[in-house]
Amino acid sequence: MNFLGFILAQCLSALSQAAILFFIACGLTLIFGIMRIVNFAHGVIFMLGAYVGVTTVAVTGSFLLSLIVAPIVVGAVGMAFERIFLRYLYGRRDGGAYLLLTFGLAVVLSELIRIIWGAQPLSAGIPDSLRGIVVILDQPFPLYRLFLIALGIAAAVTIWQFLERTRAGLLIRAVAQNSEMVQALGTDVDLVRTGVFGFGCAMAALGGVLAAPLVTAFLGMGTTVVIDAFVIVIIGGMGSFLGSLIGSILVAFVQVLGAYYFQDLALAFMYFLMLTVLVIRPGGLLGKED
Amino acid sequence: MNWKVNFGVTAGVCVLLPFMVPQYSLTVLIEALIFGLFAMSLDLLVGYCRLYSFGHAAAYGLGAYSTALILTQLQPSLPIGIVLAVLVTILAAIPIAWICTRSTGISFAMLTLAFAQLGYAMLFRFRDVTGGSDGIVGIPRPSGPLGITWFQGKTGYYYLVLGCLLGSYLLCRAIVRSPFGAVLAGIRENEAKTIALGYNTRVYKIATVVLAYGFGGLAGALYAAFAGFASPELFFWLVSGRVLIMVVVGGAGTLIGPILGGVFFVFLEHELSQVTDLWPLIFGSIFIAFVMFAPEGIWGILTSRFNAKPEVPNSASGKETSDAAA
Repeated sequence: MNFLGFILAQCLSALSQAAILFFIACGLTLIFGIMRIVNFAHGVIFMLGAYVGVTTVAVTGSFLLSLIVAPIVVGAVGMAFERIFLRYLYGRRDGGAYLLLTFGLAVVLSELIRIIWGAQPLSAGIPDSLRGIVVILDQPFPLYRLFLIALGIAAAVTIWQFLERTRAGLLIRAVAQNSEMVQALGTDVDLVRTGVFGFGCAMAALGGVLAAPLVTAFLGMGTTVVIDAFVIVIIGGMGSFLGSLIGSILVAFVQVLGAYYFQDLALAFMYFLMLTVLVIRPGGLLGKED
Repeated sequence: MNWKVNFGVTAGVCVLLPFMVPQYSLTVLIEALIFGLFAMSLDLLVGYCRLYSFGHAAAYGLGAYSTALILTQLQPSLPIGIVLAVLVTILAAIPIAWICTRSTGISFAMLTLAFAQLGYAMLFRFRDVTGGSDGIVGIPRPSGPLGITWFQGKTGYYYLVLGCLLGSYLLCRAIVRSPFGAVLAGIRENEAKTIALGYNTRVYKIATVVLAYGFGGLAGALYAAFAGFASPELFFWLVSGRVLIMVVVGGAGTLIGPILGGVFFVFLEHELSQVTDLWPLIFGSIFIAFVMFAPEGIWGILTSRFNAKPEVPNSASGKETSDAAA
């Protein structure tokens, strides 16, 4: 067996997994950075994205369209939730209320999905144009996973450039540092919050659409993924965008390699990694200690 | 002492309940009391230290699995098995508490969550011992010591659970009203000030996490011996979320509130799941409504309505329980 090719295939497999995790984790970390909210509903938002995406494909037959429709629909749902519910709690001293409220949303939203789409899993095929197999160093590798890696890199670079180079990105970073000051300088901070919450949800939805062909859309696909995303965000440092990228790659490698070499320990490895990071650096790799 | 009368009346009503309800309701009643105890244990953290644990399922699961293993492997009498299981849970809680209390707020929630999920993962790693996804089935309810057998039947077991719940309540009530409890209130209201007054708040927090695990472990132990099985779902984070909902809806920081919350939700779930499959939707909606409009919970509303002191159990608690049971 070609050892080098095998290693490469494993790494690519892990990177494609990292891409999907990154789509969920980057939204989670941005929302936390801006609002100090841990969005427990993020996994269900991801699931909603998958269902909306699969339905779009079923109706229109276009995978490309589903990559656009699902983030818009789910982003709108997220913004509505922020406007109607979360806004009520901004005045409260007790940060735990957000945790509770978003958990409540997760319960309600996952039930609504069950009522609308039923309990049966929805299978989604890989679109024809991405169905091929690429041979890398004599190892066959699915084209769809390469597509995921490319999309993940593109998204990471775009968001990074957006945060660093644009005025809106500057505002987001400013609100994360000192929202009162930004407000006093005449910016509508509420609008920034709604926008970031909606954007985070849209990214998770995109992750859901992309994951659906690999795992099918099923109830409960959000419950484990949200925990993975938490682990990533905590490892990387809560609120740190670059941290969420590093965390996604680390966790994906631990998951993929762990599943191959130590099947029983794969699940536990991720938590060990997280606890180790936290014991050494309580704020995460790139986070601030608080 | 007013609260003693009310406590006595409530306890009396609970003692008489098995004679007033049909046998099948007794099963629900036992589960309700167990969940009440579980919710009360979490209240020590959420209500008194404002430490939001999102991994309290770990306490429940540890208690249940230790009971399952002790009763099937060592075959001691039931009370000794339960006591041993609680001790195991407490021992396991010490390192967990030590690490988790390094942080507060959201990081604390995430750390507790990570430990519970780690426990969940470990069940699959050591499937020779834990049975993996099948869990442990056929947990016996052995008799003794001294030839006592009354708790083997369903009615007897109800009294065992009731005794544990009332005893735990009195113990927790004494704890939160002691000087120790006053320091906890200080941590909740202003930790920096409490530290400035010379208290090592970390030690108090560790002690409280361990206590909460102990009572949570007792609930898990009682559940395992009652249901006769322990499954990995007991460790899963949805259980932690569920019990947190019960604490908040019942009224955090009151001990009685969470007990009511637990009892209330188990009954509501049992009744509603027979007529509609929309139960989780209702559960979630009620929860959102409470978080937004009534953060003081059921007990907070009741006590302000009847204008009683928040920590004094009045007759409303007995009424609530019997209404729910009917």
